[in-house]
Amino acid sequence: MLTAMTMCGVVTIVQEGRFQMTDDAGVSHLFILKHSAAAEPQQLESLQARQARVRVHYKPAANLIGNTVNAIDLAG
Amino acid sequence: MDMHPRIHDEPRSEFDRVIPNESELTAGVRIEPGKSYGFFTDTTVCIGCKACEVACKEWNNLPADNLGLTGQSYDNTGSLSANTWRHVAFVEKAGPDGVRGNTQPSFQSGWLMMSDVCKHCHNAPCLEACPTGALFKTEFGTVVVQQDICNGCGYCVPACPFGVVDINTLDGKAHKCTLCYDRLKGGLEPACAKSCPTDSIQFGELNDLHARADRRVEQLHGLGVDSAYLYGVPGGPGATGGLGHLNAFFLLTERPEVYNLPVAPTNPSSRIVPSLLSGLAAVAGLALLAVGLLANRE
Amino acid sequence: MPDRVTLHDPYDKAATPAVTHDTLSVGDWQGPTYYRRPQLKAAPFGNWVVGGYIFCAGLAGASALISTIAGFGRSPQEAGLTRRGRYLALLGPLSAALLIYDLHTPKRFYNMLRIAKRTSPMSIGTWILMSFSSFACLSAAAQFLSDHVPGLRWMRRAARVTDVPAAVAGAGLSTYTASLLSATSTPLWAAAPRSLAVRFGASSVAAGAASLSMGEPSGATRSKLDAVTVAALAAELAATLASHESYRRKGVAEALDGGWGQVEKLGVTALGTVLPLGLQIASSVVARRKPGILSDVASVAVLAGSLLLRVSILAAGDSSAERPGISFRFSQPDNLP
Repeated sequence: MLTAMTMCGVVTIVQEGRFQMTDDAGVSHLFILKHSAAAEPQQLESLQARQARVRVHYKPAANLIGNTVNAIDLAG
Repeated sequence: MDMHPRIHDEPRSEFDRVIPNESELTAGVRIEPGKSYGFFTDTTVCIGCKACEVACKEWNNLPADNLGLTGQSYDNTGSLSANTWRHVAFVEKAGPDGVRGNTQPSFQSGWLMMSDVCKHCHNAPCLEACPTGALFKTEFGTVVVQQDICNGCGYCVPACPFGVVDINTLDGKAHKCTLCYDRLKGGLEPACAKSCPTDSIQFGELNDLHARADRRVEQLHGLGVDSAYLYGVPGGPGATGGLGHLNAFFLLTERPEVYNLPVAPTNPSSRIVPSLLSGLAAVAGLALLAVGLLANRE
Repeated sequence: MPDRVTLHDPYDKAATPAVTHDTLSVGDWQGPTYYRRPQLKAAPFGNWVVGGYIFCAGLAGASALISTIAGFGRSPQEAGLTRRGRYLALLGPLSAALLIYDLHTPKRFYNMLRIAKRTSPMSIGTWILMSFSSFACLSAAAQFLSDHVPGLRWMRRAARVTDVPAAVAGAGLSTYTASLLSATSTPLWAAAPRSLAVRFGASSVAAGAASLSMGEPSGATRSKLDAVTVAALAAELAATLASHESYRRKGVAEALDGGWGQVEKLGVTALGTVLPLGLQIASSVVARRKPGILSDVASVAVLAGSLLLRVSILAAGDSSAERPGISFRFSQPDNLP
């Protein structure tokens, strides 16, 4: 997890264990919740409903255009 | 398809809200729980635009995968997978001398294009195989994987006779087409059907779709396309071996194998009882022998 | 539905105009394929992990069955056999760790216990494993307490109560895994469900009897266990021949052409079944001086063969799913039940 990158933004779309987050620069990125992540897919929906600002710890995924998420924190 | 009278209630093109029962306007069907819904895919009008693939990825927030070119005609997607729930197959037909003909009958026949999807089988093998109950039959007759229950055992993957459902190794769960379950609950037709510009993918109630499909096959036979047939209707190819029927069925003009579909798939759960009985009989026989040898009171 | 079709094959540059064009056929399959791509998906199981579980569970279940049967004999020699059988049965619940490891979301392993579904051998197996593990652990605990705590020797006989359900569940454990494989669309596993079940069940009994025989001090009991092994190996051999015949008839025999097919022929049938069968028979004939060594070698071969049977069938099955020529040949109307 120490080697993961972080990004802050607002959760805009949630489908199953995948979500789209729009960062502070207005660029949207696709994230996939890893099976080992502490967060569960059911928790993503409430983040999207509240348009919560979050920080994700992620790594780019191999062989697809997206990022895998190890952890999500609420950011100020 | 005739215009629904409600069209006049929605004269503008601005969408500032969800139109209630929008599928009535776009697909001619009101979505009600308790009825059986699916797709009729008429491959004879598919133009291979892949709008269905794009709409599916967009609505379901699926990542782009299958990066790179395959060299297999215009099919760079390849197959259905955990991140690809719609896949358009392309086959270029050759004449008997191996070269594509310059003259063809007026009905477009040199190319086969077919948008493949989860068949949402009536007696779905994936559902029957699932040991956690994650896979279930919805109120619309479709088959969906509940992502908060699936533990990625992967048993649904070899169970599927069409090779549809797959495990995403990143999130550790099984994924496949949901027939846009969330859209159906909101009165919207599935994204792929809505985006299809030629109505190759038709969404509707199954009885309705079967009637429409039968009429279309008759029409094609009348136009000289004798090879047109339905795949996935009760009693036809694709709906064999105890699968019942496929909620997503197709009109094809070549053998199913050409489109990467099996001619006569079976429902695997029919093999459980013969297997268990044979195995237990063998073990019981050996146990009896053991009783004779080892259980003597000496 | 049309019978014939000719397709443009971008890979076949050598086709001359006079020849009817290649329909992207592959191997023995003469019909068309879709760019020779797989039509099915192979099971995402780790073959050594799941194969290892099937081997351990089969061995444990059969040990519980055999040692419980021996326990009814009540001869003093068989007390040791019963003890070893009860401890060996613990391999069942321990190997469940392999199953949890193989899940793609292991932290949700307990979801297997949400339902009991009779159309899912994985669900059936979960409950067989749960009931076997409960009773086997109780028997083993009773055995341990009776051995190490003075005053609790009566628990050894009381454990017979839990031995019986453990034996019954053990019989299921030794063979249900074949139905797990057969209740899929993977051609090799689906083509011969009955004979695969007999192979797996007989292999489990042979492995159980062989492991109990290896630790058995009494020569008389040992030769009885070896007789059970011989019978199980003979049943396994018959089922192997039957399954190969089914594979030929259903058109999936090509799946055993590759490396894992060689393992199945040499590792499983030759080294794991025929060799120990011969050795055990030789041992019973030559038996006088050192029955031990020949019998031990045979037992080790049986164990190796039992493990390789599961792994090779899993691997060869995966290859049958990935080869469209095999899956298309299998899913033809003549193979419908």
